[in-house]
Amino acid sequence: MQVTFPHMGYLNIPVFNMLTNLGVNVIEAPPITKKTVELGSRYSPEGVCLPYKINMGNFLEGIERGADTLVTVCGAGKCRQGFYNTVQKIALAEKTPLQFHTINTSENLFKNLYVFLQTVAPNASRFAIVKNIALAIKTLTALDAINNAKNYYGARTKNADTIIGIYNNGLYQLGQCRTFQEVNSKQTNITAQMQAVATDGISQPAKVGLIGELYLLLEPYINHNIEDLLIKQGVEVKKFVYTGDYAYSQIILRTLGLYNEETAYLKQARPYLNYHVGGDGLKSVGTALWYTNHHYDGIIHLYPFGCMPEIVAQYALKNISKDYNTPMLALSIDEHASDVGIITRLEAFIDCLKRKQKQ
Amino acid sequence: MDVHVGIPRAMLYHEFGNLWTGFFQNMGIPVTVSNETNQQTLDRGTMLAIDESCLPLKIYLGHVESLLPKCTHIFVPRIAGYYPDFFLCAKFAGLPDIVANTFNISSNKLIAPNIENKSLFTELKAIHTACQALGVSKTSGYLAYHQAKKSWKSDLLCPDSDPKIAVIGHSYLLKDAFFCRDILNTLSKRGIKTITPEHIPGKILYQESAASQSDIYWQLSAKIDGAVRFFSRQPDICGIIMVSSFGCGPDTIKRIYRTSYSEEQQ
Repeated sequence: MQVTFPHMGYLNIPVFNMLTNLGVNVIEAPPITKKTVELGSRYSPEGVCLPYKINMGNFLEGIERGADTLVTVCGAGKCRQGFYNTVQKIALAEKTPLQFHTINTSENLFKNLYVFLQTVAPNASRFAIVKNIALAIKTLTALDAINNAKNYYGARTKNADTIIGIYNNGLYQLGQCRTFQEVNSKQTNITAQMQAVATDGISQPAKVGLIGELYLLLEPYINHNIEDLLIKQGVEVKKFVYTGDYAYSQIILRTLGLYNEETAYLKQARPYLNYHVGGDGLKSVGTALWYTNHHYDGIIHLYPFGCMPEIVAQYALKNISKDYNTPMLALSIDEHASDVGIITRLEAFIDCLKRKQKQ
Repeated sequence: MDVHVGIPRAMLYHEFGNLWTGFFQNMGIPVTVSNETNQQTLDRGTMLAIDESCLPLKIYLGHVESLLPKCTHIFVPRIAGYYPDFFLCAKFAGLPDIVANTFNISSNKLIAPNIENKSLFTELKAIHTACQALGVSKTSGYLAYHQAKKSWKSDLLCPDSDPKIAVIGHSYLLKDAFFCRDILNTLSKRGIKTITPEHIPGKILYQESAASQSDIYWQLSAKIDGAVRFFSRQPDICGIIMVSSFGCGPDTIKRIYRTSYSEEQQ
């Protein structure tokens, strides 16, 4: 059995470790490239949203390398994402016989993950499974933390490239960790390195909040490295969507009944949205209001072309931007989006923010 | 100005229209249903809507706009599902919010009951919301609803067994003559008999869909899916025409499903 899974940002690092530690053979799909996007698009319905196509590309490239067991997640509230797995299963089964595992996130995620690990690693002990789940969450939160640190310090120095270098090296280092202590000390170490570089510069950079669809915010290849682009221009970036946070709140807090994402964001999004609209729509509106209340200079809304919940969110975001006089840039991305197009729009947007800041 | 309710002739009006108008009329409240969709509705809707919205939503907004000068209240229910374990797509779940945000109208001008399932409690709550918005007594509301529901149920018709073509699509596409260039009339003018999913009781269609694929959770998609399965087994159906609108999220992803199914049948 050779397992493969789709990419999403740095999620592959802890997932790869978790599976190999439990003795599962993993064939990692190559990082997302133009080829992945083209391959995925060729085997997907034309009008479907971008993450579907990329997932498909990852699977196909994994299969090319010899994988025969696919793992994916499904169930994120009432948008097309919850349906990917079923359709992908049909489409891929036409090519070659495969095993397809789906981890449902809308029910008890911890249980579903545990059951999945037990099926693929029948010889692993219960303790080993739980420990590796915990280590994966720990690593993810550490990865989130250094990402956060990169976005904070990177905007406060002229050597943003050095900080990005430290961050990329940090991703690799955290991938090598096998114990909780190692993760902790590496995380502190990497953050300290960044802090040491960022001693020269600007104390009050312009601040931009990122909102939008989960996959686009997390996968740098697809969002055209928007975070790095912004910090290189001396703009601090914040986002609320993190895999570690998500895994922690879904796997631990929600299992214990301490957290409900829907009610939390519903409270935040009023009065612009009063009901859950599926996917990340409510969260986008809720966090947009958070940014405006915390005097951010601008908001960037990223979503795949045709994303249903984000389009509903746009109706509210348009008004938020007007009511609070906060500039907002909406980037709707599909497989035809080009680097140059995104960069030009971002630069123009940043110019506009900086001019507004001076006034 | 006296209370006057406006109902947009779009989206789920084509399924529940008679129930809704009946409900308000039974309470003695004047109701205006917007005119049939025309080029102007579409143009105005396209202007008002976010570019990437699906066509039915654009048309819906065009209808709402045409009602605003005439009516004191607009009826925009949030219908997120009315069959167990099924949901409607994000556009339906966000409809009152979309309308409120687009036209900047205050919430007391909207009659927006929230319907998330088919339970009696939901029905009562919806009636309560509607009556409160209009300032009418709840009892008369319950009676009016009960009466409207009774006459609405007897509206369903029974098809005959002549050979015919099944035209499958969302009711808000098929019943909107402007929208789908009146496929149904074009066919019947040439003497071709047609049948739509509307002619089959919803329950059969949902069961049909759930029997083979229990993981579809979009209610209207499940209905269409069930219709494809149901009609392709009927001896009196000689062909199927599928109608879908550009930008319909569920439809893009469901196409693989349906194609794979009709290939199996051939």
